[in-house]
Amino acid sequence: MKFVNLLRKELKEMLTPQTILTLVIMVIILSVAGDAMSGVVEDAAEEISQITICDQDDTEFTRSVIALMENPGDGVQNEVTEVELQSDDYAEELERLDTKSLIIIPEGFTQQVNSGQQAETIFVSQMTSLSTMANISTGSDVALSIIEDAVKSALYSDKITEGQLTEEEISQLEAPVTISETTVVGNKSADVSATILYSMCQMQGMFVPIIVYLLIMYSSQMILNAVSTEKLDKTLETLLSAPVSRLAVLSSKMLSAAIVAAIYAIVFMFGMNNMMSGLTMGDTSEYTEVVEYLGLSLSVGQYVLVGIQMFTTILISLSISLILGALAKDAKSGQTLIMPIMIAAIIPYLLSLMLDIKTLSPVLRFIVYAIPFTHTFMASENIMFGNMTIYWGGLIYQIIVLIVCMSFAIRVFTSDKIFTMSLSVGQKKNKRQTRSLFARK
Amino acid sequence: METQSNNVLEVRGLSKQYKKGVYASQDVTFEVRKGEIFALIGPNGAGKTTTIRMIATLLKATEGDAVVAGHSILTEPEKVRQNITYLPDEAGAYKTMTGRGYLEFMAGIYADNKAQAAEFVKTGCEICELGDRLDDKIGSYSRGMIRKLLLARAIMSKPALAIFDEPTSGLDIINALEIRRMIKDLAAQGMSFLLSSHNMLEIEYVSDRVGIIAKGHLLEVGTPAELKEKYNTQNLEEVFEKVVMSNEVC
Repeated sequence: MKFVNLLRKELKEMLTPQTILTLVIMVIILSVAGDAMSGVVEDAAEEISQITICDQDDTEFTRSVIALMENPGDGVQNEVTEVELQSDDYAEELERLDTKSLIIIPEGFTQQVNSGQQAETIFVSQMTSLSTMANISTGSDVALSIIEDAVKSALYSDKITEGQLTEEEISQLEAPVTISETTVVGNKSADVSATILYSMCQMQGMFVPIIVYLLIMYSSQMILNAVSTEKLDKTLETLLSAPVSRLAVLSSKMLSAAIVAAIYAIVFMFGMNNMMSGLTMGDTSEYTEVVEYLGLSLSVGQYVLVGIQMFTTILISLSISLILGALAKDAKSGQTLIMPIMIAAIIPYLLSLMLDIKTLSPVLRFIVYAIPFTHTFMASENIMFGNMTIYWGGLIYQIIVLIVCMSFAIRVFTSDKIFTMSLSVGQKKNKRQTRSLFARK
Repeated sequence: METQSNNVLEVRGLSKQYKKGVYASQDVTFEVRKGEIFALIGPNGAGKTTTIRMIATLLKATEGDAVVAGHSILTEPEKVRQNITYLPDEAGAYKTMTGRGYLEFMAGIYADNKAQAAEFVKTGCEICELGDRLDDKIGSYSRGMIRKLLLARAIMSKPALAIFDEPTSGLDIINALEIRRMIKDLAAQGMSFLLSSHNMLEIEYVSDRVGIIAKGHLLEVGTPAELKEKYNTQNLEEVFEKVVMSNEVC
C-alpha cells in the first residue's frame, strides 16, 4: 500500500502534461518523417524499375538482353527507354535525357560475349545528395545485376538449345559483365563509382548535421537557462535597475552564448573529424582528387559559407531562446520551453540525414523549408552540389527570420514584458484569483 | 515635474495599468526626503512591488511620473538608475561567483573608474561582514549571508535612494535585526530608503514615515506615531486594519 502510494506519486511527478506533450509531438514528428520517407522509398523503387539504356552495339543479342531487362521474370516489369547519345558529355546528356542514370552498351559488346570475354558496360549515374535514401538507387550494383541477369538469361537460353555448357562457359556465366562507372555531380563527371563517392562523402554529410543540431541545442539551452535563471533568481531585476543599458545586457548575453557555441563548434568539428577519419575504411587517397574535382569536398571559402549559415542559425536560436527564457515561470517550465526549438531542429536534422529534402512533395518541402534551421542542415550539401540558389535563398530567409526574432527579443527585453510575461505549460490559471489582485478603476 | 531640493524622490499620480480598467497601482503620490526611511506597507498583491519597480525603472508607468534626484523616470531612466540601487524581494545572486567576485562585478557597473570600483568593493566587504567566506562561492551561502551580500551591494555605491523590497523576508530574527540596524545607521548618514514590506511591526520600528497601500491605492501617509494617534491604535497593524476598513476601494 505504501509502495503503491509512493509509486503513484513518482509517476504523477514524472508523467506531467509537459512530458506527455513531448511524447505526442515526438510521435507526430516520427510519423511525418516516416510518411516523407515512405514516399521517397516508393520514388526510389520506381526509379530502379525505370531503365534508360543506350545500345551502341545494336545486335540481335543486345536487343534480346534489353528485352529481358524489360521482363526479367517473376512478374517484374521494368520500363526500359532506349536513347541515342549526342555527345560524350555525360552531364549534359543526363540533363538532356532528363534521367538520373544511364546504361551504355558499347559497340563490340556481343563480340566480347561470344568470344568468352567479360563484356564491358558503362554505367553513368548522377549524384544529387548525400542523404541515405537519395543514394539507394544510384549504385552500380543495381545496374550490374540487371544487365548480368539479362546477359545470363540470354546466354543460358542460347546454350541450352545448343546442348551442354562447357567449363569456360560456366565461368563466363559467373561474371559475364564488367562495369565502368561514371558519376556526374553538377556539370562535372568522373570515372568513379557513385557508391565509392557516397561512402567517402557520407561521413561529411553526416557530421555537419550532427554539429548543427548539437550547436542549436547547446546554444539554446545556454541562453534559455541564463535568462530564465536570472529572471527566477531576480538577478535580472538587479541588473536592469543598474546604470547599464538593457541592450548592453541583452547583447552581452547573446554574444557570450555565441562565443561559447563557436567554441563548441570548433571542438565538435575537430573531434568529429577525428572520429570520422577513424571510421573511414580502407585507403581512399586515390579518390581524394576526384572528390575535389567533383566539388564534393568543401574549400575554405565554402566552409565560410557554411559557417555564415551556422552563425545565423545560432543567432536565430539564441533570440528565440531569449524570448522563451523570458516566458519561464519556474525551473520546470524553463526546461519544457526548449521543446519548440528541439522540434524545429530535429525535423530537418532527421530528414536531411535520411533523404534529399529537395525531392519532398511541394507541401512538405514548403513546411520543412519554413523551418529556418533546415537551410543550415542543407548548407554543405547545397554548396557541394552547386545548388547555390537554394543556399542564398535559404540564407536570405534566415536573415529575415533573424531580424524578426531579434526585433521581438529586443522588444521583450526592453519593455515590461521581460518581467510580466510568463507561460506555464500544463498549469491551470485561476482567472478569478489573478484578477482579484488588481483593483478596478 | 519640479521637486523640492530636500526630496530625493517625488512620486506624483503614478499608475500602472496592465489592461484596460485593471490597475496594479493607481494614482500613487508620496515623497521621500534626504536621509529618510520611507516604507510602503500593505498585504501581498497591494501594489507595493509594482510601484517600486516603476520607480526603479523596471516597469513603465502608464500614468503619472516620479522624479529621483531631479531626474524623471519617464524621460531620464538612465540617470535615475545612476542614483538608485534596487534590492528585489527574495533576490538571489550568481551562484558560481564568489561573494567578492559578485561585489567586484556590481562595482564595475556602478563605478566610473577602477579606483572608485575598488572603493565600492572595500565598502561592500566591510558592510556584509562575511569575512573569509567572501572568497567562497555564493552557492554555498545561507539565505542570510546572501541577503547581507545583496544589501552590501545595494549600499556600497552610496546611492541617493536605496529601494528595498521586503528587505528582511525569509531571514531569522538575528539577521533581520542586523539589517534593520544597518538601514537605520545608513539613513542617519544621509542615505534615503524606500522600503516595502507586509511586516508592519518591522516597518514601525525602522521607518520614519509610512504609506499604507491596498489594492493599488495609497490610502494614508504619515509617521508611525502620527498614524497610531490618528487612528487611536497600539500598532501599525491595527492602523492598517482601520484604514482599509474605512476606505471603499477594499
